[in-house]
Amino acid sequence: MVPALGRSLILLSLFLATVGTMVAFAAGRRPSAGGAAWTRRFAYGFAAAMAAANLLMVWALLAPDFSVGYVSQVGSRAVPAWVAVVSLWSSLEGSILFWGLVLGGYIAGATWVSRDRHPEYMPYATGVWLACGAFFAFLLAGPAQPFHTVSPVPADGPGPNPLLQNHVLMAIHPPFLYLGFVGMTIPFGLASAALLAGRLGHDFLRPLRTWLLLPWTFLTVAIVLGGWWAYEVLGWGGYWAWDPVENASFLPWLTATAGLHSAILAERKGVLKGWTVTLVLATFLLTILGTFMTRSGVFNSVHSFTQSAIGPTILAFLAVALLWSVALLAARIDRLSAEGRLEGASRDGAFLVNNLLFVLFTFTVLVGTVFPLVVEAVKGTQMSVGRPYFDKMAVPIGAALLFLMGVGPALPWGRATGDQVRQALLPPLAGAGVLVLIGAALGVRQPWTLLTLAFGGYTAYVTLRELWVPLRHRMRARGESVGRAFVEAELRRGKRRFGSYIVHAGAAVVIVAIAVSSTMGSSIEVQLGRGESVQLGRYTLTYLGSEDVAEPHRQSLVASVAVKRGGRDLGTLKPRMNQYETQREPIGTPAVRTSLTEDLYLSIMNVGPGGESLGLLAMVNPMVGWIWIATGVMALGGLIALAPRRRSPAAAAVPAGEARGYRAAVGSTR
Amino acid sequence: MNPKVLAAGLLAVLPLLAVLFLNLGRDPHAIESPLIGRSAPPFALTPAGGGPAVSLESLRGRPVVVNFWATWCVPCFQEHAVLVQGAQALAPGVQFVGIVYEDEEPRVLQFLEQRGSTYPSLMDPEAKTAIAYGVAGVPETYFIDAAGSVVTKYVGPLDSRLLAALVRKTRGGT
Repeated sequence: MVPALGRSLILLSLFLATVGTMVAFAAGRRPSAGGAAWTRRFAYGFAAAMAAANLLMVWALLAPDFSVGYVSQVGSRAVPAWVAVVSLWSSLEGSILFWGLVLGGYIAGATWVSRDRHPEYMPYATGVWLACGAFFAFLLAGPAQPFHTVSPVPADGPGPNPLLQNHVLMAIHPPFLYLGFVGMTIPFGLASAALLAGRLGHDFLRPLRTWLLLPWTFLTVAIVLGGWWAYEVLGWGGYWAWDPVENASFLPWLTATAGLHSAILAERKGVLKGWTVTLVLATFLLTILGTFMTRSGVFNSVHSFTQSAIGPTILAFLAVALLWSVALLAARIDRLSAEGRLEGASRDGAFLVNNLLFVLFTFTVLVGTVFPLVVEAVKGTQMSVGRPYFDKMAVPIGAALLFLMGVGPALPWGRATGDQVRQALLPPLAGAGVLVLIGAALGVRQPWTLLTLAFGGYTAYVTLRELWVPLRHRMRARGESVGRAFVEAELRRGKRRFGSYIVHAGAAVVIVAIAVSSTMGSSIEVQLGRGESVQLGRYTLTYLGSEDVAEPHRQSLVASVAVKRGGRDLGTLKPRMNQYETQREPIGTPAVRTSLTEDLYLSIMNVGPGGESLGLLAMVNPMVGWIWIATGVMALGGLIALAPRRRSPAAAAVPAGEARGYRAAVGSTR
Repeated sequence: MNPKVLAAGLLAVLPLLAVLFLNLGRDPHAIESPLIGRSAPPFALTPAGGGPAVSLESLRGRPVVVNFWATWCVPCFQEHAVLVQGAQALAPGVQFVGIVYEDEEPRVLQFLEQRGSTYPSLMDPEAKTAIAYGVAGVPETYFIDAAGSVVTKYVGPLDSRLLAALVRKTRGGT
């Protein structure tokens, strides 16, 4: 009963997306109000069918109804309700179903927001979105069916991958990743629409940028949540390893970040339109490449590839999307002609260098990720590209981007005189000097770290100055108080600008924190007998003993380590070693004591017979907490920039008038 | 149509697609064993609890599944049930053999008594056979065809679906 209903909903969504795509493209070629309205109806219908199918699956997981194929794979009577709900995206078929839900939500949202705007683009955009929707509905109807009937109905199921039950972050990280990945479909559709329409008007750059910024914000959070989870759960002491699964999420983030910046130039100066569109297309293509690389395995297993039958299907979709994008760009890019011109030694130039660096970064990571496949295909031998390659490339590019984040905003738009440039660029050197001195006083000697501190201080100075200038201007000109000027200048008028600088502030802190934490930490590996102590920096660690804990899905060995700092008792930390029934290697779960300045990180390497001795990996990781905090700041900045503008009556009249004009032109009956 | 954009785009896209296509079906987790396709290292080992030695030689003529395991290995618990069931279902066409890795006989006997068994578990003193097979850890399972050559190996706990698939592959090779 439930499986049949689920399959019907999937088929309905496939039907709505397929027919909707055709209707949308017809409406794009021959614009009419009726065609546009029907296009929207199909978009809403697809979203509703996907939502219903997801609700049905969640209900089946909670019941649990083991006659549903997916429930029989990941469901269990023994798991708590939150794990049952999280199981929706814990394995392949369910994660594709969830993809459908998120995609439907985005399509419906984007369709609704632009329901009576941009008539020459929207049907094409909706057509592209629904074509993507049709592909995922097809996956659910065939290669990755979640609703197949199981007979005879099993009495119980195995439950989801136990690793995913390990930490609550695993319930949060995948949805954010989906909101980031799937959301890139929307700007892809908009960019395709601009190419199909053969123009990218000033009015259309705003939705393009907004719909790029929204998933970008989610993706930023998702990437860092993934690193945080690895840090808190996997026990090797790091948060990023340049694993292909991690790179899969980082690549589209890089091109999206580049696109957000080039869109500003396109909007302000009317240049780089074709380039912006290319970056947006590339972002979406990289999300599909990432999905292929992991075969949706980011969500299915931890830091490993999962073999599944949908690999070839996703590759076929990737091929179609790639060739579509190349053909569309080749056919139409010349029509997105530049209206303005770029200047060199000014903010324009900084944007250009920014874009080049981001593209170089993307290329570097892509090559490092794909290279093992090339070797495998050509020579048939296995190899992997290690961290040193990525670190060697990423450190200078990251440092340069940090510096540029200071130089760019400091420079004026357009052509700048030598005096202007000097006035803009020299004072922030004070910020650089201060941070380098603080770092040197605290013992930083590594040249790249000192350089990063210098760039970070420079950028911080510029960012704070840029946040302060409009405030000061308003306070002087109108005699307003700081609070009032802040609300008026930053939140009301300059919200996008204000949000961008908040993002920059967060990003600068993230880069500095990464540099400091990866070069300034200390660690020891020791064997401790029961009652023995070891000193690490200011910490004294004493091994108290260990105990075995048995749970249904795992056996754990929990060690107790007493922690003192400078004679003060900080309590007991309990790193553990978990052995899951489904995994050959035991997985250590570290105990982390986080503070604003540094983390104390304890991980078990081994435990002697009877718990008499403990092999302990102990680390002091400075500033790691700031990575998580500053990412929150970046997300906040993104949200501020995204918040809808409250329109003044005068401003509101224009779009409404435009919309009326359109309705009159196409003969709307509303 | 901008031919430069088209050429540059295709130049970037086609090689990428080709590489991805060529790698379809590759399992990056599969650890290549130099034994694959060669004849399996011979052994003659005594079952846990005593009895006449079992040699690989004596099993020739039907596929053999050799599973390295230990009582201290948690994933082996779950896998044991899968293997016991599989051995029963596939008998007598396929012979299952367990080889105990770095373990003590009394523990092994207790384990087998509690959980039952449908195939012999052989003791491997000084892990000589495990070394000959290049076992890196347990569980690890080798699939040997009727002619005595290694068809494939699997690292980690098997589930019933995988076991059936790998046995099918082993039979197909004969």
